[in-house]
Amino acid sequence: MGLDLAGVAAWLADFADQVHTNVDLLTDLDRQIGDADHGSNMDRGMQKVAQLDQSDFASPAEMLKKAGMTLVSTVGGASGPLYGTFFLRLAGAWPALDDAAGLGAALRAGLDGIQSRGKAILGDKTMVDALVPAVEAYDKAASEGVASALRAAVEACAAGRDATIPLVARKGRASYLGERSAGHQDPGATSLTMLLEAANRTLV
Amino acid sequence: MIGIVVVSHSRALATAAVELAAEMAPPEARPTIKIAAGLDETTAFGTDAMAIADAIAEADSPDGVLVLVDLGSAVLSSEMALEWVDPGVSQRTVICPAPFVEGLIAATVTASTGADLTTVAAEAKAGLAAKLEHLESDGSVGPAPAQSQPGEDGPAVTFETVIDNPHGLHARPAAALVAGLRGFDANIQLTNLTRHKGPAPATSLAGVTTLGLGRGDTLSARITGPDRQAARERLQELAATNFGEDAGDSEPVLAEAADEPIAPTQTGRQIVVGPIIHLATTIDLSEYQPGDPLTERTRLDQAIAQVTERLQTRADASGPQGGIFAAQAIMLEDPDLLADLRAGVAGGASAVAAVSGDLAAVAAELSALDDPYLRERAQDVRSLARQITAELVGARIDLSGVEGILVVDELDPLTAASLDPTRCLGVVTCTGGATGHGVIVAGARGLPVVTGQAEAADVPDHTVVGLDPVGQVLWINPTMAQLAEIDRLSVERRNEATLAAELCHQPAVTRSGRRVLVEANIASLTDAKTAQANGADGSGLVRTEVLFADWDHAPSAAEQADVYRAIGQALEGRMITIRTWDPGGDKALAFLSQAAEPNPMLGERGIRAMRRLPDLLREQLKAVVLASRRTPVRVMFPMIVDPEEIRWASQILRQARAESGGQVTVGMMVETPAAAVRAADFADLVDFISIGSNDLAQYTMAADRGNGAVGHLAQADQPAVWDLIDLAAQAFSGRPVAVCGDIASRPELTARLVEAGVTELSVRPPLIGLVKLAVRTRA
Repeated sequence: MGLDLAGVAAWLADFADQVHTNVDLLTDLDRQIGDADHGSNMDRGMQKVAQLDQSDFASPAEMLKKAGMTLVSTVGGASGPLYGTFFLRLAGAWPALDDAAGLGAALRAGLDGIQSRGKAILGDKTMVDALVPAVEAYDKAASEGVASALRAAVEACAAGRDATIPLVARKGRASYLGERSAGHQDPGATSLTMLLEAANRTLV
Repeated sequence: MIGIVVVSHSRALATAAVELAAEMAPPEARPTIKIAAGLDETTAFGTDAMAIADAIAEADSPDGVLVLVDLGSAVLSSEMALEWVDPGVSQRTVICPAPFVEGLIAATVTASTGADLTTVAAEAKAGLAAKLEHLESDGSVGPAPAQSQPGEDGPAVTFETVIDNPHGLHARPAAALVAGLRGFDANIQLTNLTRHKGPAPATSLAGVTTLGLGRGDTLSARITGPDRQAARERLQELAATNFGEDAGDSEPVLAEAADEPIAPTQTGRQIVVGPIIHLATTIDLSEYQPGDPLTERTRLDQAIAQVTERLQTRADASGPQGGIFAAQAIMLEDPDLLADLRAGVAGGASAVAAVSGDLAAVAAELSALDDPYLRERAQDVRSLARQITAELVGARIDLSGVEGILVVDELDPLTAASLDPTRCLGVVTCTGGATGHGVIVAGARGLPVVTGQAEAADVPDHTVVGLDPVGQVLWINPTMAQLAEIDRLSVERRNEATLAAELCHQPAVTRSGRRVLVEANIASLTDAKTAQANGADGSGLVRTEVLFADWDHAPSAAEQADVYRAIGQALEGRMITIRTWDPGGDKALAFLSQAAEPNPMLGERGIRAMRRLPDLLREQLKAVVLASRRTPVRVMFPMIVDPEEIRWASQILRQARAESGGQVTVGMMVETPAAAVRAADFADLVDFISIGSNDLAQYTMAADRGNGAVGHLAQADQPAVWDLIDLAAQAFSGRPVAVCGDIASRPELTARLVEAGVTELSVRPPLIGLVKLAVRTRA
């Protein structure tokens, strides 16, 4: 597999599985600082995405676009428009096969989409805290090929996710908790790390 | 008018917020409000950018769309939605950072005044001001968004008034003030002198609200700018009408007459004694100075415009009876009639002569027609002639000031609706019959009426008379002996009414221990309140075709459901019986066109009209189902003669229930001999029946109840009609058998109905206590 339609389909299916397996973890993380729906929301959306049939799509970009639209309409919480935007932007910049730098640009476009949609910056205790270092690490390793770059991205992503624990939330429902949000891992950063882990397993 | 889209993470929250906001503006002025909240049938939390985009498209108007959002995904999804709607639409759409509930209410009220998008958005954003003012009072009045400061722009005029609105200058009168003062080239700064708040600009609803003007507070205005005088005059006018609150009660769903619910003792059956006063049906024209044809034409046009406007105002302000006034106003727009009148004055006649001549001719033509319904319209034409003539000679007929017993030639609805039941004791008509619209309106307002008393015409003003509306007796200059008899009867009637009133909230149980439900026939929200005050066990008949008679468009399911819910809530959640649209015969719906029929009583009435227009019935049944989720509701179909009609209508109801859930039991009117004789055929199809005795009588006796010549035959108290009632009740033995015709409102017949097996009596609201009393003592 690779960056072709089969790869993208596998990626989405893998991520859906991860979310489904970890639905309680994600919901518990969200219960501590949010409204306890991240797991169920993402699972509802990704189960719909997992039902997409790759044979209905002519290109990986088309399938990513459909995935994005599906998330927008089925997730419900803020993750809907955020993940939806991510996939839509990804679709708009999806590279040709084996184009490591192209995948980096697509991930960057996805990040830009999330940031312009959610207006979060680094340190707000959101998925951005995981995605920014991931994209940076990917770009640094891009010359070594998609596999190495994704591996580097996943490591940076997980580190970024863990670094959200001491942060005080400044965006989303968790921001209402103020100081009390410190000490908890951000659920959005957690699910985003699962997304990149899934990419690392399927797109290489 | 701008549209509003409400986006929330929670569908319940959005629905409740919209409900709250909708109560702030009358339905006809309310902006389109669309909700995008929740995901699907099973997921009530969440937002869907696609659904939001659809809602924006639906709410879109050339004036733009305001999107109100609550938290989190609502904001993100709305922004996303804006990227998807048509660029033209997105350009005129604003996502508003206002506080959700306060912003929505401010936006609804401001939009209903016709304000533009920028103003509405600013008002919504300022929606937090009142709360800030209250909780963090630092002396300064909040927001005044986008308003100029009280500047030194030339000489100022001032105006002061004491607020007399019962609840102070709350949102609706405040909106009326803001809307009324918009458009002047003037800077109007308002201050609450009593509470030392302000100044705030009169153009800002939020600003005006923060002044906290309660009843008794002094409002002071300082007005500068070129239009200062005109603005001051307008403000004075607004204050004189309590900022529009004089016109009607602030009911959420239906405009209503300012009627208070009628007290349980004012039944319209009371015997009254008092001095009579004649309503001048002829107006003194001796002072009228005719001018040249041009002057007369101008006077004529102005008088017609004035009368039209007054009728329109009256129509807007009176809920169910408004249709009568609207219809009169429409008559005045008849181009043929206007052309005749204008030709008259062009030919040298005075405006007064043209009006009396032409309208008398029209009335005469109508009077000569065979159709009794059209004959009654002659009365409307004479009423119009009187109003225009009075306008021309500057005579104002102030009926609300009439005290004592009014004598009129015939009682038109306008007169009946204008009398003040606390001052006017009763009405005597010289020629009118007992079934005219005016008599019905008077009865519903608790005014006793005695009709057809020709001799009253010649009795001088201030002569003392007594009248008994039950016995239809008029005593002119009663002797001492008669006075003693009147007194005895009156005390008896009053004692009975008082006893009935005392016990009206108790269940009505016969001596043998049978509970009989005594319910109310309801045609307005005021009726529902009167019914509640009089102890109704629910409503056995909601006349939907009267509730919405004056609507110019068919009310949507949601609009209807609002009204039905309000009626159910006024009755504190007791069962209400919604009769589906029953047009035809002598009842018209403004939004439903029906061809003239030679024999309308035998024509396309009730369910028959729905066979031609199933969408109307479908929408209404949707409303019934929606309402049933909030308040107990059952439904019944009118003019049923054939079981197939019930099967057809029930199928539509099943579809509505499949879409929306809800619990609704189904019934039918028994108002034709066909339905009564074959009632058993319907036993498996409906849960209950309701006997419409008026129609059952007229169809059984072959006597048009609107035709004075045979009207006495159409009384329900006839052996043939009783036989049919018995038959129908037997067929439904053990199940609810209701009677909702006039016969149910006659306490002297209560026992006979109970004996026939009737289990529910639905009556005129003021008579509930008396009918309950009759159940207890006579049945």
